[in-house]
Amino acid sequence: MSSTDETTDLPMAPGAGREADTPAAPAEDETDGMREAIAKAIADHDVILFMKGTPEAPACGFSARTVAALADLGVPFAAVDILPDPRIRMELSALSNWPTIPQLFAHGELIGGCDIVCEMHESGELENALR
Amino acid sequence: MASAQEIKDRIEAAIPGALADVEDYTGGGDHFRATVTAPAFAGRSRIEQHRLVYEVFGEEVGGAIHALSLKTQAPDEGAASARASGGGESGTGNHTTTR
Repeated sequence: MSSTDETTDLPMAPGAGREADTPAAPAEDETDGMREAIAKAIADHDVILFMKGTPEAPACGFSARTVAALADLGVPFAAVDILPDPRIRMELSALSNWPTIPQLFAHGELIGGCDIVCEMHESGELENALR
Repeated sequence: MASAQEIKDRIEAAIPGALADVEDYTGGGDHFRATVTAPAFAGRSRIEQHRLVYEVFGEEVGGAIHALSLKTQAPDEGAASARASGGGESGTGNHTTTR
């Protein structure tokens, strides 16, 4: 049973950019490209989770609990593993003003990390927020 | 490395009127669970409440402090929960000055 309908790849390695506008460029530009790629991923997906590991194999208990809450609701979501490239986490946290992983976004807005997502799941608020 | 008491003291020193219960749930000095009640949380979203606490520690959260699990509430909400509004029994009596 997979709760994930898609996995989003960010241009995390040289040549891995899927868009022509992610050029091979000096380090500074690559960082800028990463932030834009993250912002685009957040904008492009109704529900997207930045996590450690994958929904099938979470690499952290907090990420696992967040995935479990989403799976319990049966809400499809995109997932990004932040572990392969430290820049993902740096740029994500700079963008979201949120220091920890996981981070769940719905309709372009940060919903929260594991604590908030699990609290909202228990209170029944999560489903509405993701709708 | 930090102790639960240090984390508690720093939260209470930085956020006016805050009461924090902090637990080092692995015993390793880097994974903490905190319940924080503060007047400043009133009228703010959970996201904003948690940001106020994270801001106390800046880049230490995600760095030296690997995990800081939070439950936040304004005093009114706190009174309605299992924890009495006059609570904070674990440590409020020996609130020491941080360095």
